[in-house]
Amino acid sequence: MVTREDVLQMARLSKLYIKEEELDALTKDMDKIIAFAETISAAQCEQTNFDNINNLSNVLREDVVVPSYDREEILKNAESQDEGYFLVKRRS
Amino acid sequence: MKYELVSGLETHVELSTNTKIFCGCTTDFGGEQNTHCCPICIGLPGTLPKLNQKVVDYAIMAGLATNCEISHISKMDRKNYCYPDLPKAYQISQFDMPLCKNGYIELSNGRRIGITRIHIEEDAGKLVHQRGNTYVDYNRGGVPLIEIVSEPDIRSIDEAREYVEKLQMIMRYIGVSDCKMQEGSLRCDVNISLRPVGSTEFGTRTEIKNMNSFTYMTKAMEYEVSRQAELLDEGKEVTQETLRYIVEENRTESMRGKEDANDYRYFREPDLVTIEVSQEKIDRFKALLPELPDAKFARYVNELGIPEADAGLLVKYRKVAEYFEKASQGVANPKVVANCIIGQIFRRVENETEKEAFDIALSPEYLRDLVLLLDSGKIKMNLLKSTLEKMLDEGKPAADFIKEEDMGGVDADTLKQLCTDAIANNPNAVADYLGGKEKALKSLLGFVMKNSRGRADAVEAEKLLIEMVNASK
Repeated sequence: MVTREDVLQMARLSKLYIKEEELDALTKDMDKIIAFAETISAAQCEQTNFDNINNLSNVLREDVVVPSYDREEILKNAESQDEGYFLVKRRS
Repeated sequence: MKYELVSGLETHVELSTNTKIFCGCTTDFGGEQNTHCCPICIGLPGTLPKLNQKVVDYAIMAGLATNCEISHISKMDRKNYCYPDLPKAYQISQFDMPLCKNGYIELSNGRRIGITRIHIEEDAGKLVHQRGNTYVDYNRGGVPLIEIVSEPDIRSIDEAREYVEKLQMIMRYIGVSDCKMQEGSLRCDVNISLRPVGSTEFGTRTEIKNMNSFTYMTKAMEYEVSRQAELLDEGKEVTQETLRYIVEENRTESMRGKEDANDYRYFREPDLVTIEVSQEKIDRFKALLPELPDAKFARYVNELGIPEADAGLLVKYRKVAEYFEKASQGVANPKVVANCIIGQIFRRVENETEKEAFDIALSPEYLRDLVLLLDSGKIKMNLLKSTLEKMLDEGKPAADFIKEEDMGGVDADTLKQLCTDAIANNPNAVADYLGGKEKALKSLLGFVMKNSRGRADAVEAEKLLIEMVNASK
């Protein structure tokens, strides 16, 4: 069972603000989502090796420098910027 | 002290690869803000990270050099937290399958500090808090790190310091990091708890984040140990929390409240595949490791007869050790070479950075040739010393400064004549010496050395001068 406290905790970790009146509905929804995901627990999988499920390993790149993007491009989608920095509201 | 310190360290070491861990952006330090960035390292949706081969290789070397087991199979995980230094709101790290585990580092007192694990991960961006805003620079975001986690085996502040110094030395020797604390390429989180002496249970611990100098680490630990001891003395409890050290006020303060307690919700990074390391590769890397500082130290002391204190100074920086070894090739007494380096060359490379680079004008081969002149009896120690100074000034071989006629020293008769002259020409010094001022002998000796153009043997000359002055009473 997902509790209201669980939802509040998740919201806090995700830095989301949730209104009191939304909380019950969200808790119910979250419970349904978890229940749906739980379906997978029914699968018989004791024999499966999960270390490497896609049978791929060591997809690696050489340590060779590729030119970076122009700063203008990098900052293009920033909501706020100043002197070449991304700007966000102060967080301590 | 009635409490015993129990401490473990998490050390972050920035790897000196050319590129970031998941993209081809440069890792160079100090570029203009946000100019070493691309869509991958600023975490734009739809981008795919690709692991840098060199990061895996360097981490394996770090593991082997600290006596770790290397995992044949490991993987990357997402560590979720929301903070502007991480544009994706998660850091790609390793959780339950680190690349290296179960190693140790041995301290000079013989105690082994266990290394729980070494894993690879990406560094976060840099935040500058100013004018009520936070300025974000992602140049450092995605720079590869290894995190070296120790067991809570450290029992004193000195041990903590030596542990970090040893890690730094080892990582520099194997060339995986420059470990410059002042540039942040080596930084530590220090866990601290106290317990009554004799107790085997652990007390409640606090963690001081991001120590980036040995001085501050020592001071922060001292402060935190006394703070906890005071609490315990008063019968109060230590709160488990994360602290930051305020340098200006020499105290620690809590970083986050309880409601933000760590809850990283790790899960496998689905964008990156398994890392497999074959035994063949591990063996190959093991064979490639250079001689490490501890082994070098033992060899210098036991085989070359270097005193321990001097051997410690020589092995501390790999380039110094290499220089010493080249300059001692074929030399009868390597101690002479050690003395030249420690007594004379070190005076010209005073700070840590200069010793680390050890970029001096004189080639080790020229130093060796100079010491060989001493070995063959052609010059005496004092001429070696003064010639070395000139060679260091100009980077030229000994032959440029010592004339053929200067070699071979002076015979007994000449030495006696020089001493007689010295006494005759310095009546005041003779009187001072006889009056009890032993230092006055130096001016007599200086006269002899000068007039023999440095060829006289200073030890013999001094002996003879004392004899003659006393006889003149």
